[in-house]
Amino acid sequence: MGTGRTLHVRCATWEQVDVFHTRKLRRGKLLSMKVPFQTEIGAEVTLGLELPNQVVVAIEGVVQNASPIDGDTKTWIEVELTGFTEDVLARIRVMAATAAMAAVPATRKPAPAAAQRRATTAHQEEELPADERQLFQQLTAELRRMRGLAVHDVLGVGRAADADEVRRGWMELVRQHHPDLVARHRAPAITHLAEELTILCNRAYDRLRAAMVAEGRATVVGSVLRSPPGWLVGFEDIASVDAAAVRAALVEPASVSGRHRADTPPPPTAHGGDAFELRARAMLGDGDSNNAQEVLAAALCVYPRSRALRSLYYVASAIGALEKGEVMLATSQLETALAHNEQCSDAVVLLEHIRKHGDSNPDQVRSLFR
Amino acid sequence: MKRTRSPSRSSTGHAIGIDLGTSNSVVAIIDPDGAPRILTTAEGSTLLPSLVWFGPGKPVVGEAAREGLDDSPDVTIFGAKRLLGRRFDHPEIRRLAKILPYQLIEAPNGDTWISLSAGRSVSPEEVCALVLRELRLMAETHLGEPVTRAVITIPAWYDAAQRQATKDAAQIAGLTVLRLLSEPTAAAFGHGAHRGTDRKYLVCDLGGGTFDVAVVDLEGGVFEVLATTGDPFLGGDDVDRAVVEHLLRDVRQVKGLDISTDPIAIERLRLASQRAKHELSSAAATRLHVAELVQLPSGKGAEYGRPIRRDELELWSAPLIRRLEAPIRGALERSGRKPQDVQDVLLVGGMTRMPAVRREVTRITGREPSVIANPEEVVAVGAALEVARLEGVIEGVLLIDVAARGLSVSASGGDCELVIAQSAVVPTREHRVFATRHQDQPTIEFDVWEGESPDPAQNRHLGRYAAVDLPAAPAGDVLVLVEITLDTDGTVRLGASELVSGDRLQLEQLYHAGLARAEVTRLARQHAEAS
Repeated sequence: MGTGRTLHVRCATWEQVDVFHTRKLRRGKLLSMKVPFQTEIGAEVTLGLELPNQVVVAIEGVVQNASPIDGDTKTWIEVELTGFTEDVLARIRVMAATAAMAAVPATRKPAPAAAQRRATTAHQEEELPADERQLFQQLTAELRRMRGLAVHDVLGVGRAADADEVRRGWMELVRQHHPDLVARHRAPAITHLAEELTILCNRAYDRLRAAMVAEGRATVVGSVLRSPPGWLVGFEDIASVDAAAVRAALVEPASVSGRHRADTPPPPTAHGGDAFELRARAMLGDGDSNNAQEVLAAALCVYPRSRALRSLYYVASAIGALEKGEVMLATSQLETALAHNEQCSDAVVLLEHIRKHGDSNPDQVRSLFR
Repeated sequence: MKRTRSPSRSSTGHAIGIDLGTSNSVVAIIDPDGAPRILTTAEGSTLLPSLVWFGPGKPVVGEAAREGLDDSPDVTIFGAKRLLGRRFDHPEIRRLAKILPYQLIEAPNGDTWISLSAGRSVSPEEVCALVLRELRLMAETHLGEPVTRAVITIPAWYDAAQRQATKDAAQIAGLTVLRLLSEPTAAAFGHGAHRGTDRKYLVCDLGGGTFDVAVVDLEGGVFEVLATTGDPFLGGDDVDRAVVEHLLRDVRQVKGLDISTDPIAIERLRLASQRAKHELSSAAATRLHVAELVQLPSGKGAEYGRPIRRDELELWSAPLIRRLEAPIRGALERSGRKPQDVQDVLLVGGMTRMPAVRREVTRITGREPSVIANPEEVVAVGAALEVARLEGVIEGVLLIDVAARGLSVSASGGDCELVIAQSAVVPTREHRVFATRHQDQPTIEFDVWEGESPDPAQNRHLGRYAAVDLPAAPAGDVLVLVEITLDTDGTVRLGASELVSGDRLQLEQLYHAGLARAEVTRLARQHAEAS
C-alpha cells in the first residue's frame, strides 16, 4: 500500500500559497497531480505543504483516482485532501498575514501616523497609506521588470550609446528612484525598494562605464562619465581589412595608382583617411616626418577612430625620433603604434630594422617608404 | 530646488546636522521657517571644542574641559577623530603616539585606543560619543524636545572602518545616523544650496587636524563629487606644534629652561600659541603670554611672554603651508580640470582664516577664493540642509557619491579578489560565490578587505566572516552566495545565502575592525543610563 507516501509541495512565495488553495484545489479539497510512483485508489498519502516561512504543513489525503502514464513509471492521481480543514486554512492565512506584516510594515501600520499627518497639513494626502501601498506595488513591479533586463535596457539606451546618453539615462533613473528622494515615504519597505532599484541602476551604470572605458569610448571621473577628451583614447574600431591595404602600400611604393590599381578592387572597408594616409606616406618617403605627423594629426581630427591613421601617426613620430638619433624614444613610439593597431606592419618592419641595426640610418628608413 | 513643506514634527524626535571636527564640532538645525540655524554652547560660542576631560568625576566635554588641558593633559583627550577607526600599527598613529600628551595603546583587535590610567582605557568611539552627546544635549536644550537622529559629516577619504566607527560613536551617543555626509560635499551644499545655479566648485577644507580637497559639481540640482584628495595629518594642530617647537628653543635661550619633556608646560605653550595664531589672522602682531609656564625649584612660577608677528608665524608654518599644493593639484588632475575651469573656490575650516593659507590657495588656483562668512560653520549648515533634504523639506536636490576605495574579498587565505571597484556609484552591491571543499563542510570562511590590491598585505582588513550551518553535502555541492552591499554612507553590509535553495545563511563575525556590535549596544545603554 502507499501508506506513508509523502508528496512535497513547495511554495516559495505567499502568492503561490494563495494560488494553491484558491485555484489548484477543486471543490476546496481535490488536488490533481503527476507523481513518480505507482499507487492505487484508496491509498493514503500525506501532502507536505512547505510555506515560504519554512513551515511544513502536513495534510492527510486519500487517492480518489489514479491512472498510470509514461509506461507505469508515473501516475496521474487525484487526491482528496481530507486533512485540509478550515482550521488548517486559517493557520496558513495567519502565517501569510504575519509574513506580509513583516515585509511591508508600513502598508498596515501607519493608521495613527496618517491621522496625525492629516491633522497637520492638508496637502500631505499623497502620503496616505493607500498611496504608499500603490507606490510599493509599482516599485515592486518595476524592480521585477528591471531585474530581467540587460544593462543597456536598464538604462534605456541603445547599444551604441555614447557617454552622454548613458549618463543621461542613468541620471534620469536615479532621479526617479534614489532612496533619498522617496525618503519622505517613511515606510522602510519603500525606502528599501528604492534602494534596491538604485543599486540596480548604479550597477548597470558601473558595468556600462567599465565596458566603455575598456573600449576607450569614455573616461570616468568620480561618478561622471565623459566622452574621451581626444582621439588618442579611442580603440573601438578594428581596421582588420585595412591591414592588407597597408601591407600592399608598403610592398608597392606609395602612389595613388599603386594603391588602387584597376585590377585590385579597393578594400571594402577602406576608411576615409586614405588620401591623408597617402600624403603622409609620401612625406615620410621624402624624409619629412614632421609634416607627415602634422598631416596625420589633422587626419585624426576628421577620422578619430581610424586605427591605421593612429598607428601611422606614432610611426611618423618614431621616425622623427630616429632622425634625431633617439632610438629609445623611437622604440617606445613604435610599440605605442602597435598597441593602437597590432597589424601595423610599418611599425613591425621599423622595429625589426632598429633591432638589426641598433642605430639607424635615416636614408634606410626613408627607403622603407619609397 | 524648492522648499515645499515645513520640517515634519514626527513623534520619532528631531534630527540635527553635526560637523564632528578634530578640534571643534558644530551642530545645526533647520528652523521651522526652513532656514538653517547654528546652535551655541552654554558659553555662547558656536564651536564646541572636541575635548573630553576624564577628570575625577564625570567626563567633562567642551569648553569646560580646557581646564583639563592645563591641569592634566594626560587624561584630556583632544583630536580623537584622528584616531577613530585606525589601526595601531598605522605609521601616522605611531607618529602621533610620540607627540600626543596622552597615551595610545593597542586594542586586542589592533585598533587604537587611549589609555587613561593603569587598567583604564577608552576607545576613540566613546570619546567622540561624548562629544556627540554634548551636541545632542545642546540641540535638546534649544528645541526642548528629544533629538534622536543626525546627519554627521566625515572626511571624504574615510575608509569603511572609520565610517563604521563614526556610526558606532553616534549610536553610543543615542543618535541614529541618517546619513554620513562627506565634508566637502556638505560645504558645497551649505554654500551653494540656496544659490541654485550650476557651478563647478573646488572645496579646500583645512581644519584642526585634516586637509581635504574636493572637486564638486552642482548641475541641475545634483551635487557630484568628481575627485577628492587630502592630507589626513595636516591641520591647525600641526601649525600649533610647529610654533611650539620654535618657542621651546626661545624659552631655552631666554629663560635657560628646557621644558621639552614637561607635557604640562608644552600644553600651556600650545594653548597660548593657538590664541596668538587666531589673533594673527586679523592683526599683524600680538603678544603671546603664559602666566605660569613651569614651577621653578624655588616654588615660584616662571612667566613667559614674547611679542609675535604674523611674518614669524608664516615663516614657521611655511613648510606646512607648502603641503597644501600637492592635494589641490592632485584633485584638479584627477577630475580632469584645469585651475581656470573652476568657477568657485571655497575655503572651509578655521585654519583658512590664516592669510597665508588664502594666499597659497590663490597662488595655486590662480583664483581669489570665495569669501565665506563662517568657514567653521558652513559644513554643519550643509549637514542640517541634508537633514532637511532627507526629510523631504528641500526637494529636487540629489547628492551622488562614489566608493572612496575598492572592496575585495578573499577565501581561505588566498589572494584578494576585487568585488567593488573604486569610484563605483553608491549604493551598490556585488556578489561572490564560494564552494565547499570538503564533504559535509560545516562553515565557509572569507575575509573582506578595503583596497584593490590582490596582495592582502596592501589592503585594510575589515573583517573575517563565516557562513555557518551549511547543509551536509559532498565537497563542492554547497555554494554560498555572499552579497556585499556598499550603502549610501559608504559602510559595508554583508549577506549570505545558499545558492541552490536560496536559503539565508547565518554569518558569524570572527574578526572585525572597530567595536563589536554587542559592545556598541552595551555602551549605548550605559551612556543612556548615565545621563
